[in-house]
Formats: sequence, structure tokens, C-alpha cells
Amino acid sequence: MSHSASNQPILDPRHALPFPKAVLPVLRNPQLRKNVAHAIDVIQSKRAKLVAEKTDWQELRTAADAMRMHVLENLGAYLEQFEQRCTERGGIVHWAADADEARRIVLDILREEKASEVIKIKTMTSAEIQLNPYLDTNGVKAYETDLAEIILQLGEQEPSHIVVPALHVNRSQVREIFSRTMGLKDLSDEPRELTNAARHYLRRKFLEIPTAISGANFLVAETGAVAVVESEGNGRMCLTLPKAMITIAGIEKVLPRFQDLEVVLQLLGRSATGERMNPYNSIWTGVTPGDGPERFHVILLDNGRSSILASEHERQTLKCIRCAACMNACPVYRQTGGHAYGSVYPGPIGAILTPQLMQMNYAQSLPYASSLCGACYEVCPVKINIPEVLLDLRAQVTNRERKDLKRFFDPMYLGLRVANLLFSRAWLFHTAQFFGRIGLGLFTGSDGWIHWLPSVGGKWTQTRDLRGLPSQTFHEWWAARNKEAQ
Amino acid sequence: MRASIFITCYNDTLYPETGRAVVSLLERLGVELDFHPGQTCCGQMHSNTGFRGEAFSQAKRFIRMYRDTETIVIPSSSCVAMIRDQYPTLLRELGNEALRNEFHALLPRIFELSEFLIDKLGVEDVGAYFPHRVTYHASCHSLRGLNLGDRPMRLLRKVRGIDLVEMPNIDRCCGFGGTFSVKNAEVSSAMLAAKLQDMLSTKAEFCTAVDNSCLMHQGGALHRQYLGMKTIHMAEILASTDLLQAEVSE
Amino acid sequence: MTTAVSSRKKIYDRIRSATKSVAKNDAARAEAYAALPRPYVHTGQLSRKQTLDLMIERLREYEAGVTETTPAELPAAIAQKLAASGHRKFVVPPALPAEWLAAGYEWKVDNGLASEEIETAEGVVTAAFCAVADSGTIVLHHSASEGRRVISLLPDFHLCILRTSQIVETLPEYFRRCAQPPALATTISGPSATADIEMTRIKGVHGPRFLEVILVNDEEAR
Repeated sequence: MSHSASNQPILDPRHALPFPKAVLPVLRNPQLRKNVAHAIDVIQSKRAKLVAEKTDWQELRTAADAMRMHVLENLGAYLEQFEQRCTERGGIVHWAADADEARRIVLDILREEKASEVIKIKTMTSAEIQLNPYLDTNGVKAYETDLAEIILQLGEQEPSHIVVPALHVNRSQVREIFSRTMGLKDLSDEPRELTNAARHYLRRKFLEIPTAISGANFLVAETGAVAVVESEGNGRMCLTLPKAMITIAGIEKVLPRFQDLEVVLQLLGRSATGERMNPYNSIWTGVTPGDGPERFHVILLDNGRSSILASEHERQTLKCIRCAACMNACPVYRQTGGHAYGSVYPGPIGAILTPQLMQMNYAQSLPYASSLCGACYEVCPVKINIPEVLLDLRAQVTNRERKDLKRFFDPMYLGLRVANLLFSRAWLFHTAQFFGRIGLGLFTGSDGWIHWLPSVGGKWTQTRDLRGLPSQTFHEWWAARNKEAQ
Repeated sequence: MRASIFITCYNDTLYPETGRAVVSLLERLGVELDFHPGQTCCGQMHSNTGFRGEAFSQAKRFIRMYRDTETIVIPSSSCVAMIRDQYPTLLRELGNEALRNEFHALLPRIFELSEFLIDKLGVEDVGAYFPHRVTYHASCHSLRGLNLGDRPMRLLRKVRGIDLVEMPNIDRCCGFGGTFSVKNAEVSSAMLAAKLQDMLSTKAEFCTAVDNSCLMHQGGALHRQYLGMKTIHMAEILASTDLLQAEVSE
Repeated sequence: MTTAVSSRKKIYDRIRSATKSVAKNDAARAEAYAALPRPYVHTGQLSRKQTLDLMIERLREYEAGVTETTPAELPAAIAQKLAASGHRKFVVPPALPAEWLAAGYEWKVDNGLASEEIETAEGVVTAAFCAVADSGTIVLHHSASEGRRVISLLPDFHLCILRTSQIVETLPEYFRRCAQPPALATTISGPSATADIEMTRIKGVHGPRFLEVILVNDEEAR
């Protein structure tokens, strides 16, 4: 099943429906599709304007690509350096091999802190490890503080985008959620009023809850610093007011030096939200006495990343700086939004990251959820060749599946095997064309077009006609012409 | 000038008129043409679906077949992109040094049709006459794979009588994507519906491109929905003259 | 904790084996890092005047109020901004120059105030470390004249005093100004904002909704 009891999509690749099935209810939801298209059109046009203005945009991409690749190739050394520096400055570094371990470490720290509540800055890693439900089960209430995350948390919905997670929700839907859960009867649907409601809702929580959880946009190896990029200020609240902080960061988030932020910060804002710089960036190093949390923990999360690192051609997946430009540019995502991908990482990056994080055991339909148009690669600030990785992953999925005897008779697999045989010799190909003409002729109407085909062909004729096969192929015409000439 | 046509498996079977137009056009421009009778497929369908072993065998066959051919012209940007972008991966994984060398020697001799006209023949005005309103669809392979740039438009602009209208959202994928069109038929159709809106807003009689693959997908929906607009490969427009009107299909 | 240690080792081992054909030793890695391509713009091409004009333009785009003044006129300019704000109670960093604390207002000097106390302040006045004109970004390194992070966060009104000599054109120029990396840094590019509801940009969620900047000309440029 693709939806939970509350009819929300399940963003767990182990339980989500395959993409071709998962999109069906979405394609029949005009409100959602309208909301998604509107949101990405806004970001895309803002981004386009700023990219055109930035005369060294391609040069920045070149630098970011090379730098991120350099980090990945030397990840062990840079992580070691980060750990050392962060620890010297009073940070406590933990290592989580998988999601299970990461959750347990978080809970252990919270128990140490005697925390029954925690405030959170939006972080993809905590969604990836499914932290909130786990904490809830173990008696800790986690409060999201990003406006989008509050909308989702209170509305019991799932995120559909990694930067603007509630882009599938419009203002009247937000009004409904807030007035119901915050008990605000006279709330209008003006975004300003809705935002104010959120501001009030959170103010006390910021001042009173002494434990916070964040992610990290970047880790700086040279200094042991962590950087968090945001717009609203809830990040700054969570990073400075509490007594204890936990940052959960994927191991691939490292940059070599503080100065390297000059490259990624110029790319990130423009790519993610179409701004020259997002309103707030916070950089902190370990513990600073008198300013901010007294206890700071970093949990370095593997959870499948090291296996991606091992693959020479797929390693580039880990260059990602989570800007979501790829999903904003994606014509598939534009039609489906994020939920259909069945993962907290949707869109083009999700299509390559999700199955790989699961060692290709799940989410095998995602590499096919693409027309390979290449728009994502064009906008990726770190030049991840997403189409190339998609093709690699398709080959991996196929190599696995074809070993399964059931697949032997799958029409698609059978068809492709037969086609390969036919392409191996011209006379086989020509014979197939001859019989194809006859066979398809049975389905060809008097107007010379085919309106219906069975099996796989039916997926075409669902919405499109197919012109009937001409009575003479090109090669037959050429041969006849040559004969005439002689 | 001599050139060999690689017609592509689907043009050979489904759109022979595109091939005939290529012959008519290039011979008019003084090119001596030939056609290797053993040709079948470049392997794109298999490669895109993850059948690398099969795709490799087709690639090997292609490379061997054209080993000694001076110039190859291909009226399909997706097939050229397959050869340029994916053959290296296939050869790296499954080929040997000798085959890779043959491939690298072959690569500079392969041209998509508009590349052949502009880069090799150095012509923009091919003497065509096509008095219709036409909009150009920039297929993803031509746009991002081959970076054809404005080559097709430069050729189309010189066609006498043509009324060219720019399509909105010209760089957005139409949703064909090869087997994507059947594996994810519903999303493909949703993307196509959006593209049809953009196409129809131009009020053009014809939508043209350098790839019959996209046009098959677009044309299939145009026909199904009685929308009036027709699709036509760019070769057929360029081949069309006062005397030789394009074979416009019903 | 043995599990934690073994996870650390497990992950490092995985990483090492994953990158063994490409990872470099310390010297080679430093060389590779130094050889990384950086073809982007490092130093801006604008004149000083153009840079300052750009900074002002960007600030105004964010709806931050900007005034220009001279060092001699600064205290008066501050007084004017404070009066215009309509606020009376301000929190300030401990090393803010005394002449900036205009008369007629309540000044709470932050020598370790509790958050609840800072919460009662209506505004904050700080200096800054640097500003980047390209993106209209103000950078705080939270020195004694810039204040702890909390004081420029909780109040609704932030008056920032920026010397024109602190303004650079490009982001890389800011990084060159850092003799060493700061332990703490906050970059501010406009008031807090969100576009999470239908992509409508709303100013001021958390963090100061009102940002006022005084540019003090300590160069010849104007």
C-alpha cells in the first residue's frame, strides 16, 4: 500500500508503491498538481534571473564539482580532521553506521539530558532515519520549527520536496490545519497571518525547551565547524537558545576548509530558492562558553553512503548539496510532486540516492522514473551527471531482475531479448519488419492508424494513436531505387 | 562529398519518408550517398532500459560496420547522442582496447543531419520551399545531448514561405523518453498534455523536430484527439521545394 | 561505549576500502587541494562607489532601512533611527562605543543576560565584521561589539552600524578578510523570511522583522 492509515503517502522505500503505481492518485489530484507547478515555476523563474546575472556561474559549478569530488575521494582523511577539530573545541562526535544506531544515539543523549521535548530545525537526515516517530514511541515529543515542517506536522502530512517541503499545500489548506490545531477560529488564509500564527505558536517553545536537534548543510574539516543555512530564523533559535544540541550530519557533508564555503554559498541560495543568499547562515564550532549550547553533539551518519562511495561512477551522487534545483527543473516532478517517489528524497536526486542508500534492494522503480531529458544535470550546481547515474542504476536493476526466472516471460524483457536477436542480423531485422507489418496491419484502421494494442503496446495506445507501418521500409525503397538505376 | 546514411531502426520501419527526404535533400546539395544494407540499430533502446550486454553487442556491430566509412549522417539526434554519450560507457565496461580505438576513430565521422548540413557542408539555405506555419520542438537529445544550439533554426529560417513560430517552454521535455513512454505511460501522457498546450498555442500547422521519436509521441496524441496539427521531421521540410512538395501524411 | 567505537572503526574501514584506489596521502592530498580549479570571480571589478551603491540597493531590496552618515554625525544618525523606531528598550553588546548609546532610551548591556530578559528588549544595536555587496549580506563574528548570537536574534528590531571600509563586493573577498576562520559567524541577508506558503514571501518569522543599517563613511569614496 502506498498510503498510511491517515491516507498519507508512505515515504519509506521499503513499503512504498512502485513509482508507476504511486503516481496514479497524484495525477488525479488537480489541486496538488497546480500547487506543485506554481511553486516550482516561481523558484525556477527567480533562479533563472539570478543565474543569468551571475557572470561566473559556470565557473562556480566547475569549482564546486571538483572540490566536492576531491572531498569524496579523500573522505576518510577529511572526516578524521573534522572529528579532531570539533572535539578539540568541545564537541562530542558520534558515529552511526545506520538509521537504527543514529536513532538510539539521539535517544541516549536525550535521556542523558532528561529531555521529554525537543525542538528541531528541518533536517533531511532526521527524516531519512525516521526519527520523530521513534522519539514519540519513546516518550519524547519532537517539535518541528520550520514553517513548512509545522504545516506538515500539524496537518499529519508528508514532505514532498527537500527545500520547500509543503509546496503541495496551498493557503486555504494551511488555514484549515492551523485553525484546527492551534484553536484559532478567526484565522484568515492570508500568508502573513498564517505566518504570524506560527511565530506565536513557537515563541514559547524556543525559549523554554532546552534541547534541540539540527542537521548540517556543511561540515568544515579545517576547523570542525558546522554550517546551517536557513530563511526563517528558527534555525538560529534552535542553535543558540538551548542548553544542549544534537546535529545529525551525513558523512558526505564535509568541505575541506572554511574558505570553501565561498563557492557553495554562492551556488546554494540561487539554486534552492532563487535568492542571492538565503536570509541566515549560522556557523559554529564546538562549544563557545557563554554563547549558545553548553553541550554539543555531532552524529556522523553513514546509512548506506559508504557503499555509494565505493562505486567509481556512482560516487558523484554524494556531491549533492541538497539544493533541490534538480527537482525544480524536472518535468516529471512537475507533474507528480514528491510523494510519488516514496522517499524523503524525491525528484532526480531521490531517484538515484534512494535506491543506492538501500543498496539497490528497494526503490528499484525510481531509476526508471525519468525521461532522461537532462534538465537536472544542466542545473545541478555540483554537476552530478544524474542521467548517467540513472542509466547505471537501470543496468544494475536489470542485471538483478533478469536472473529471476519470472522475468523471462515478462513481455518487456521477452520483447527486448527478441529485439536484440533481430538486430543482430539484417535479414532477421527485415523479416521481423515484414511480419510486423502484417501483424500490426491487423490493428490498423482504415485511416491508416492504430488506435489500440494489447499488452505493453496498450500502454502506448491508452492516450496516443500510432501510425500504421508503411508498406515499404526505407531500405526496401533504397534497394528498389538502386535496382531501377541499373 | 560522399556520405553514408544510417537511417535508424525506427525510421526505417515507421518513417521511411524521412529517409527519402534526406536522400532527396542531400543529393540536391550534391552529396553522393550510400547506404549500408546490413544496418539495424544503434542499441539505444536496450541501453536505456538497462540491457547493457545487448546494447553492447549492437554497438560493436555498428562500430565494425562503419569502420571504413568516411562520413555517416543520421537523421535522429537521440541515436547520435547514444553513440557519443553511451557508447563510451558500454565500451569501457564490456569492450576491449582495440574496439575503443576503432570507436574513437569513428566518432568524428558521425553527424546528425543538421550538423552535417551546417558544419560539414557549410550551408544554411538548402533551397527549400515550405509555405506553412511551423513550430520547432527542441528535443532533449538535440538540446542537451548534442548541443545542436541554433543549427536547426538557422536551417529552418532560410526556408522560403515558412512562417516560424516559437514554442513556449521550448526546453521542457515532451515526455517520450523511449521506454519511459510505456513504463510510465501515465506520467508520460501528463507531460505530453502540457507540451500539447504549448504546441497548440502557436497555432502552427506543423510541429517539426530533428527526431521522429518525440514526433511519434506528439503526433500520436494530436491524431487521437483530432487536434489538426501535424508533425513532420525537419528533413522533410528541407527537402520540400516548389516542385517537390513534402509527403504530408494524413 | 564499545558499540560507538566499533561503529567509528566500521565506518572508517568502509570509507577506506571504498576510496583506496583514489585516496591520497597527506602531502598528495594537500597538493591536490591546492590544484583545485577556482576560475570564479575572486575580487570584484566595481569601484568603491559602485560597491557601496550596490550594497545600498541590495539592502533596500530587502526592505532594510539604510542611511549614510559620517563618523562625526554617527551618534546623531543613531538617535534619529532609534526615535523613528518607536522603541525605548534596547539590548547592546558590552563593547559597543558609549557615544552610540543615545540618551533617552533604556540600554541593557549584555554581560550574560538571561534569554527571558533579552526577550523584553524591543531592539538591538550592533556593529558588524564585514558586509558583501553582491548579495547584500552583513556578517557578524559575534565579537564584543557585535554581541552574542542571541541578542541579535530575539529582539524585533536590529540596528546595525556598518563602516563603509567593511564592505566588500564579493563573497570570496569576505573570506580573504578573515585572518583565521571565526569560531562563530552569522550572515544576515535581509530580515527573516519564508516562502513556504504558496511561495509568497513573508518577512519576519523568527528573528528581527525590522533591519536598519547605518553606513558610516570612513573612506574617501563619497
